[in-house]
Amino acid sequence: MEEMAASQENDSEMDCSDNEDCYDYNDYYNDEDSDVEHIDLLKIDPEYFEYKCLSEEEIERLLNETVEDLSNRLRISLSLAKVLLHSHYWNSNEVIVKYEENPQQTLISSRIDPPVPPRNIIFTPTHMTCPVCVTLHHVDRFFYLSCAHMFCKDCWTMHFEVQVNQGISTAISCMARDCVVLAPEDFVLKHLQHKTSIREKYQHFTFQDYVKSHPELRFCPGPNCSVIVHSNEIKAKRVVCDQCKTIFCFRCGCDYHAPTDCQVIKKWLTKCADDSETANYISAHTKDCPKCHICIEKNGGCNHMQCYNCKHDFCWMCLGDWKSHGSEYYECSRYRENPNIAHESVHAQAREALKKYLHYYERWENHSKSLKLEEQTLGKLRARINEKVMSGLGTWIDWQYLFTAANLLAKCRYTLQYTYPFAYYMDAGPRKELFEYQQAQLEAEIENLSWKIERAETTDRGDLENQMDIAEKRRTTLLKDFLDV
Amino acid sequence: MAALPRRIIKETQRLMQEPVPGISAVPDDSNARYFHVIVTGPEDSPFEGGLFKLELFLPEDYPMSAPKVRFITKIYHPNIDRLGRICLDILKDKWSPALQIRTVLLSIQALLSAPNPDDPLANDVAELWKVNESEAIRNAKEWTRRYAMDN
Repeated sequence: MEEMAASQENDSEMDCSDNEDCYDYNDYYNDEDSDVEHIDLLKIDPEYFEYKCLSEEEIERLLNETVEDLSNRLRISLSLAKVLLHSHYWNSNEVIVKYEENPQQTLISSRIDPPVPPRNIIFTPTHMTCPVCVTLHHVDRFFYLSCAHMFCKDCWTMHFEVQVNQGISTAISCMARDCVVLAPEDFVLKHLQHKTSIREKYQHFTFQDYVKSHPELRFCPGPNCSVIVHSNEIKAKRVVCDQCKTIFCFRCGCDYHAPTDCQVIKKWLTKCADDSETANYISAHTKDCPKCHICIEKNGGCNHMQCYNCKHDFCWMCLGDWKSHGSEYYECSRYRENPNIAHESVHAQAREALKKYLHYYERWENHSKSLKLEEQTLGKLRARINEKVMSGLGTWIDWQYLFTAANLLAKCRYTLQYTYPFAYYMDAGPRKELFEYQQAQLEAEIENLSWKIERAETTDRGDLENQMDIAEKRRTTLLKDFLDV
Repeated sequence: MAALPRRIIKETQRLMQEPVPGISAVPDDSNARYFHVIVTGPEDSPFEGGLFKLELFLPEDYPMSAPKVRFITKIYHPNIDRLGRICLDILKDKWSPALQIRTVLLSIQALLSAPNPDDPLANDVAELWKVNESEAIRNAKEWTRRYAMDN
């Protein structure tokens, strides 16, 4: 910048434009004459940060001034100046240096000119066919960008309309295949002359693009807030929005995070999110033994748990004593509706609704997890059997019944899993009672089966096969009574 | 429905009069924006000898928006997924209104000759294509034989 300024006769004016401080910043400049004051402020308050909360109109004016200044300086159209600034993150200085060094290359790299100059256009005919709509038009109706790809007016309009509707604005390019030339603002607006709403959309999107590409500007992240913060210092400093009072970091736009910097806080937050997954895992996959309160992770599909520590037998689902589950009236799968709910408050009803949903969801989810765990059990079983066979303990065919049992278990549990959404949507009444009774029966038998499969080597084969038969009967009975196809 | 744009009429006529070798595209009797497409598997590719059915639909804003194309015949290809969706740049961000049904179908035919496992849509297929190309090609041939021949 220093070098540049030296070669310019009006350096003071230029400095001014570079920092975009001509606009509304006279006070700031006057203050800065006394540097001492600024340093003092920082000493008193290390978070001291100069910024301004501006409206869209003010920012627009600010951007336009930058554009006008560059346009005057390089003697190029406003529209081209805007494209150049946008592609250089609004750094007028850089644009000027590059442009004065090699104007052609700058225009090519900013996608204003095509990489290869087009051949001269010779208008011999008075009419020609537009390659997009394949319609013959007078040459007057044809328009083209610097690449000289000619298309008719209506096709350009339609092209812009479709692009804008997809949210594309500053990145709209020529219609020709593989052509990278961008359509500058004035070209687009000219073709959207009679399309007011599309025109407005286009202007809205371009404005968003400009602000986002400008390092000294930041949209306030507050919900529905249209404030744009401007600061010459691109630092991770605290900004409080004048309008919505949202506090955020100027540099990254996220929650303010001093003294940590933007990258570190990002890493930290990601890690925390990961660790909270661990917490979620613990709450989702472990429960405390109801007797000795040791933390237990469920690693098999069977819901009949035996505490490793105190040998207490309990049900994983309801944490009740397993003995009561052995009886005919298996209570665990039944959801008890609160009969007085109609008289209670809206809150109580909502809570009850959530409770009801969770009751079914938990069981649904639990069985889905059990299914996955039993798949692992099957894998281990296969390995153990393989070992036995290899060491001469029986033949493959002798152990096949275990796989049959495991497959049956999966089938039963799958059905059971799908009984819960069914029950959830059933109206209370004798039919639901019957359903839930059968569901409970199935549940009990499946857990017995799972228990026996997990302890296959010590379970009598006849006993296991008997259990398989019972479970499958329960399943088919339930389906017979309730499957409505 | 609005009258069919001249562009679509012209393209359809040309497709009928000067068909692209190895490609047939016939508009549906009831909807001129819907094309029944058959692409023959290119020579010296694992798809050789196969006839692949595709469907092609020209959306309301065609040619400003790309046509929608999908394989109906099952095909083992790293850039075509289970549902027949195709990963091809000109059908997405590289679409240009100057492209045509003809050019799109030619590009699809070219994709069959030159699969690109580095830009995959069917990940498992692309993976195999990279680690064990000969097995992938064997699979592609097998699928071609099974799904794209004699029916």
